[in-house]
Amino acid sequence: MSGEVAAFRQVSKSYGKVRAVNGLDLTLYPGQTVALLGPNGAGKSSSLDLLLGLREPDEGTVTLFGGSPRAAIEAGRVGAMLQSGGLMTDVKVRELVQLACDVHPRGHKAAEVLREAGIEEIADRRVDKLSGGQEQRVRFALAIAGANDLIVLDEPTTGMDVSVRQQFWASMRAQADQGRTVLFATHYLEEADSIADRVLVLHRGRLLADGSSADIKARAGARRISFELHAADGFVDEAELRALPGLTALDVSGPADGVRTVRIRATDTDALVAGLYRAGWYPRGIEVTSLGLEQAFLTITEAAESTEGTEPALESAR
Amino acid sequence: MKTLIKLEILRTLRNKRYVFFTVLYPAILYMFFINVNHSIPGGGSVKAYFMVSMATFGAVGAVLTGSAQRISLERKSGWTRQLRLTALPGRAYATAKICASAVTTLPSILVLFGLGAAEGVRLPAGQWLGLVGVLWAGSFVFAALGVALGYAAEPNAVQPIVMITYMVLSVLGGTWYPISGGMKDIAKFDPVYLYNRLAAFTTPGNGFDAGAAVGLAGFLVVFVAAASYLYRRDTRQA
Repeated sequence: MSGEVAAFRQVSKSYGKVRAVNGLDLTLYPGQTVALLGPNGAGKSSSLDLLLGLREPDEGTVTLFGGSPRAAIEAGRVGAMLQSGGLMTDVKVRELVQLACDVHPRGHKAAEVLREAGIEEIADRRVDKLSGGQEQRVRFALAIAGANDLIVLDEPTTGMDVSVRQQFWASMRAQADQGRTVLFATHYLEEADSIADRVLVLHRGRLLADGSSADIKARAGARRISFELHAADGFVDEAELRALPGLTALDVSGPADGVRTVRIRATDTDALVAGLYRAGWYPRGIEVTSLGLEQAFLTITEAAESTEGTEPALESAR
Repeated sequence: MKTLIKLEILRTLRNKRYVFFTVLYPAILYMFFINVNHSIPGGGSVKAYFMVSMATFGAVGAVLTGSAQRISLERKSGWTRQLRLTALPGRAYATAKICASAVTTLPSILVLFGLGAAEGVRLPAGQWLGLVGVLWAGSFVFAALGVALGYAAEPNAVQPIVMITYMVLSVLGGTWYPISGGMKDIAKFDPVYLYNRLAAFTTPGNGFDAGAAVGLAGFLVVFVAAASYLYRRDTRQA
């Protein structure tokens, strides 16, 4: 991949005593669709504000296309939809979109933008008379008003009902398919799982995980294996189980001289199952279940919570 | 930037509250004042005096409420942040507000002059034009004040601040009755008074009040400086 779209280098930002962004180091590459995940207060919006130059970092540097965020905006390379981005009142949707197209150095035609954002049918409505979900789509239209290389969306589907959200994802994918880099913050994990090819997990201003959604699930030990061990098949010591490859959590219940149920979380379930047989044991009724991104996300953030964020969760889980 | 200015003007004219408070309200007050006041201290035409003072009242109201309240609300809603994500230069927003204010003060001036003429105020054509010109130019001073107030306070605070500023300046500025005697010493420091004085050349025996014009220019500098300082402060915070 040539060049970088955006880079955070050791960026920190505090508001009073609250450290909203803490030593963030991150690079975005062209063509990626990146989800920024994190609970409320994780620093998602703050990070996006820094990325867009709305705020200055206390430490570190933020670059967009190798220059300052403001230079990238003036060159018409970035479109953004903020969570807190208000809209002009007393104007029609069409007029507002026209404004966004006119001021964009590489602006599209308003009619085209209205269509791409799926808001043609509300184009003649007054902006102040829209529902929350409609407002979100107008904001999206403002973000795609020109030929941007990067589109930044902060919680874009908040306030949308399920069917509208599906349509919105299609519009978002269409932008990515045109080769644009899309960065979106969300707390809908389904959204990250189904759209993003890279997922960033942010918690208390720190980057806890960075990878594909499958990576994140695997790194959180996001597959679960359960089976039974019968005493009649030979006794297996817990310590021996714990030594299995890729194991991240172990739970054994039941009497040592009867049927014991074993529940394991593992990063690599294939290796673990092979290991079971290699050891010569006789596991019965093996079930392998995949945990969703949601579970993986909770695991990662909880682990960070319990270690008070002093070291990355992924290391401590190993 | 042209589109932004056009849109700002359009939306202000579309707003019913604007039309009521800045055009209808001064017109109604004018009809009331000329019917209850039969003479004014210091002589002169009642109808001409209130024609000017109500035109300036409407113009100041138009720019103060139009820009101060809207800017404050739009800072709160995040529209100003959204605009910062466009290629528009930072000053575009305030510039558009001032342009829109300037356009929207004209109706209140013209409507009052129309009413005054209908009530029998007679001036040479050149003086009518000159009067429209100076009152219109003077309104820019208050447009700058409106921008400064809009960046100074939150929406729920800005409403009373604007109302109080507007009332105090009007009372001391000769909007409701002519200022005379010792009051003039205080009124000299009131931009509304200076604004009303711009019309002095239309009364017999008076020339153009250059001192008032200079005073207003001074206020313009102060308000513009305050507005740009407050704008920069807001940008750092948002």
